[in-house]
Amino acid sequence: MTRKQKRLSIIAGALGFLGAATALTFYALGQKTSYFYMPADIANAAVPPGQRVRLGGLVEDGSVVRGQGSQVSFAVADTENRVPVVYVGLLPDLFREGQGVVTEGTFDAGGTFVADSVLAKHDENYMPKEVADSLKEQGVWQHAQE
Amino acid sequence: MVFWLFLALLTIAASLAVLLPLARRPQTHVPASAHDLEVYRDQLAEIERDRQRGLIGESEAEEARAEIGRRMIKLEAAGTEGSARASRFLPIVAAGAVLGVPLLSWGVYATIGSPDLPAQPLAQRLEKDPRDNTLDELVARAEGHIRANPEDGRGWNVLAPIYLRLNRPEDAVVAYRNAIRLLGSDAARETGLGEALFAEAGGIVTKESADAFRRALEAGGNDNPKARFYLATAQAQEGRLEEAVAGLTALMGDLPQASPWRGVVGQALARAQAELGAPVAGGPSSDDVAAAAQMNAEDRAAMIETMVASLDERLRDNPADADGWRRLVRSYSVLGRKDDARQALERGLKALGADSEAGQELRDFAGTLGLGAVE
Amino acid sequence: MMIETGHFALVLAFALSLAQVVLPLVGARTGDARLMATGRPVAITCFAMTALAFAALVMAYVLSDFSVVNVFENSHSQKPMLYKVTGTWGNHEGSMLLWVLILTLFGALVAAFGRNLPATLQATVLSVQGMVGAAFFLFILMTSNPFARLNPAPIEGRDLNPILQDIGLAIHPPLLYLGYVGFSVCFSFAVAALIEGRIDAAWARWVRPWTLVAWVFLTGGIAMGSFWAYYELGWGGFWFWDPVENASFMPWLAGTALLHSAIVMEKRGALKIWTLLLSILTFSLSLLGTFLVRSGVLTSVHAFASDPSRGVFILAILVFFIGGALALFAWRSQSLAPGGLFHPISREGALVLNNLFLSTATATVLVGTLYPLAIEAVTGDKISVGEPFFNLTFGPVFAVLLVAVPFGPLLAWKRGDLFAAAQRLTMAFALAALAGILALLFLDRNAALAALGIGLAFWLVFGALTDLALRAGIGKVTPRTALRRLVGLPRSAHGTALAHLGLGLSTLGVVAVVTLQTETILTMKPGETVDVADYTLRFEALSPHRGPNYTEDQGIFPVFNADGDRIATIMSSKRLYTARRMPTTEAGIETLGLSQLYVSLGDETDDGGVVVRIWWKPLVTLIWLGALVMMIGGTLSLADRRLRVGAPARPRKAEPAAAAP
Repeated sequence: MTRKQKRLSIIAGALGFLGAATALTFYALGQKTSYFYMPADIANAAVPPGQRVRLGGLVEDGSVVRGQGSQVSFAVADTENRVPVVYVGLLPDLFREGQGVVTEGTFDAGGTFVADSVLAKHDENYMPKEVADSLKEQGVWQHAQE
Repeated sequence: MVFWLFLALLTIAASLAVLLPLARRPQTHVPASAHDLEVYRDQLAEIERDRQRGLIGESEAEEARAEIGRRMIKLEAAGTEGSARASRFLPIVAAGAVLGVPLLSWGVYATIGSPDLPAQPLAQRLEKDPRDNTLDELVARAEGHIRANPEDGRGWNVLAPIYLRLNRPEDAVVAYRNAIRLLGSDAARETGLGEALFAEAGGIVTKESADAFRRALEAGGNDNPKARFYLATAQAQEGRLEEAVAGLTALMGDLPQASPWRGVVGQALARAQAELGAPVAGGPSSDDVAAAAQMNAEDRAAMIETMVASLDERLRDNPADADGWRRLVRSYSVLGRKDDARQALERGLKALGADSEAGQELRDFAGTLGLGAVE
Repeated sequence: MMIETGHFALVLAFALSLAQVVLPLVGARTGDARLMATGRPVAITCFAMTALAFAALVMAYVLSDFSVVNVFENSHSQKPMLYKVTGTWGNHEGSMLLWVLILTLFGALVAAFGRNLPATLQATVLSVQGMVGAAFFLFILMTSNPFARLNPAPIEGRDLNPILQDIGLAIHPPLLYLGYVGFSVCFSFAVAALIEGRIDAAWARWVRPWTLVAWVFLTGGIAMGSFWAYYELGWGGFWFWDPVENASFMPWLAGTALLHSAIVMEKRGALKIWTLLLSILTFSLSLLGTFLVRSGVLTSVHAFASDPSRGVFILAILVFFIGGALALFAWRSQSLAPGGLFHPISREGALVLNNLFLSTATATVLVGTLYPLAIEAVTGDKISVGEPFFNLTFGPVFAVLLVAVPFGPLLAWKRGDLFAAAQRLTMAFALAALAGILALLFLDRNAALAALGIGLAFWLVFGALTDLALRAGIGKVTPRTALRRLVGLPRSAHGTALAHLGLGLSTLGVVAVVTLQTETILTMKPGETVDVADYTLRFEALSPHRGPNYTEDQGIFPVFNADGDRIATIMSSKRLYTARRMPTTEAGIETLGLSQLYVSLGDETDDGGVVVRIWWKPLVTLIWLGALVMMIGGTLSLADRRLRVGAPARPRKAEPAAAAP
């Protein structure tokens, strides 16, 4: 190989690597990200069972039921809709009825959301941003809750 | 005075930092290339060290030396820049900076600083004459005293109702418990404890709270409308509506005509009766269970309304309570009673003075609740 | 008085930073030595004023002066003294003050230790440093003044978020900022080089110590943040790909690339323009991180500041500096003398490959961090980009990089011999493969990925050791000579080997935890036992406790080994901070060798039990020990004698200036 060819092949190699990385990134953006929904969106969105999504809203008052071991079921609600959620694991410290929560997981065939992670707000001044925004849109956001 | 002197000293120090190098005779100029050469010479020395250690071979070292040599030659070929010269701008820039630093800093500080406001370390504030203390400071002093003498039952007894009034129910619970532990149980303390627990639980008569009210009745007899009212409320919350109605009816009968409790008790009674009268058909279905849950929530809402009403009442008597107005406005807006919230805001602004600081804060606060400004 | 003095000192620092922008720059452009000379004392005084302001704020915290809004909002008279002090920077205003304090500190360091720099370069660097400082002083004074006052002063503060009341978090921001802001010096050097239109191999050497300092601190800051999240948040995770973590990770990746490309520039005079660009980008990513965290655009534990006016201001700063620097780059980089060419199979070729991988890795993290924000801004949809995304993109790129790491130091400058290097690495490869096979045989026969990862980690460790062994000539000379040579190696050689070794250790920790950890969630009643890994845990009791500002239920778990001996007791509790009514989980962690048992308590069940979550985290401590080793490596490299080049001797006053050698 001449010097020039050598250099070209190196540049081609680098470009190939960058191309592969870019392709991978695009693929991952399409496949490995999850959309965020509020209960009100769920009715229209028709999320297929098995697709990973995030679901946020308020933990409905009186909906938390503790089952066997660390099994918990509760409902995530906003003003328009409520979605039943089941979760196995430890709930975060600040998980409380009437408070904002974001869960991540998939819907089962029956429309129940099977969460594999639950995030609650981290102090009383903080609410998951998506939840706060959506609740503001729905006009039920109360800034100061005690 | 000392303060201003200090600021002046700081300003002088800052100005000197600018001024001194300008006043001093400049150091002899060292061309930039001399610094580069220093680095290249060190690189040559490093190659020599590496070669001696055997980290690189002789030929590699030779090549590297040649490369560094080329860099040095290039550097010399580029020539050395002209020697130091005084800038035409020197006087302008120097004068601008020497004047600008003090002027800018004093100007900015004059607009944003609070030079008249002394520092207020907490320890120092608590030591001053009690007559100058604000209510908050008095409470803090009492707290300090109680922390030092945690076995002083009378201290706890004084603090407890104040906490309750200041809307610090957790502290009130602790204070009432300590007062009861040290001074013994009596009707007033147990009633207060019950009320504090009720407030702490966010408007629900918990079992603990009900127990306290019961002890209050045992200790002080039946002439305690507050305890009886809360106990009836507890029964209503648990769905034991008949008992609640019976209790409230009895209480209503015992209350003198002028009692401030008549209104609240009457409302609660009416509500309990209404719920009791609700038709119950057939066996319990899932719908019924859901409805019961719903009723409970309504019950709770009714409870909150009662509390709001009594807050409203209190503010009519004692309107100079900015915190109270805030709570009232918020409560109405949480309950969705926007008109009432707006009215409360107007009343609050009138009571506090619309242009006062407290009034301003109340207005801002109302703004965050989505209540538009009122004129 | 003290507070207002601090306030005034802050204003004065702002005025001085403006002087620091103008005077040295005009001096450097017109060749006026006196104007250039103002840079040093002004930078040092500016730091002193900022330090005074910072000290005043710390005192206000210590004395619980609630007439300062910032103290009222973030402190409490009953808080332990240590957290009163650290609370100073546990909030938006205080942390921004710390940010500029560190920025001016670096300015003062350049002023104090930059005597080996050409006068015009030093003056221009200080001027650029002053610009960044002035922008942030303005930001603080206009939107986030920590000295805002309250009259009348409240009697009690509003406490500090108890999650933030932790020693790890107390030292994490200063470390992180020392790293973030340290890269500002590299940025200033790059912009100064562009302004001067002159750049050469010596420039790389002048920038190197600053890059190293920033890199060492940033490594420490990230490791500390990860360790904090691990033991404080109670989720047992050490890295969440949270945007705030990414914000600190991106400058680290770019800074690591910069560290390597600057070596090429220093040794071979090549990659000049790329190194300049990388210097600008690294600090730009630091600024981006500051923007993401401080503007509140993110959803995260860390985003405790939220005020749109601040966000817009920082965004303006961001656009000005990144845009300005890149525009200057586009305009001036053409006029810089191009660097030399080189052979692909060589040390410099390997370093370029390293840069290719690292910048690609940075780009994937950047995309993953900004994509959700962009999507939300454009379509309004909210998406989350989490671990699965980064595993698929960052993972492979970084894995390829790790495979290549051991080759780099073994290739010679100019013309390397890949085959010879591979031959010399045979031993390391064999040992790494053995480690992988052993893992497969003894740990888990189905964990092929774990075995590969463990092999990769050992490949890095043995690769680094091979590098040292070859340089010392072990096996070729007598052990005595070899030892002497090993000790006598340049410190930067030790530094490189240690940094790569540390990377291997961290990789080993990550791989072991990700692939081999076990998690058990169960309800336990007092007296019940559970087997985890080779140990047995018994749940003894749940006992209530009272701390200074919290109450807690403490679960007591004695740990028994396979022989039934009690070897440790784990205390895990659920705490309630009384002032804020805020519950937190205090995980109970027991270190056994390099691994850890991690116990976290859940809710009590109706039948008197309590939900317990127990992790077995094999080799987890290596994640942070590896980072520590990397930091030691960086520090050793910093101590290398070649970074202590002196200033050229000043010619006698009588001699003409041009006579310098």
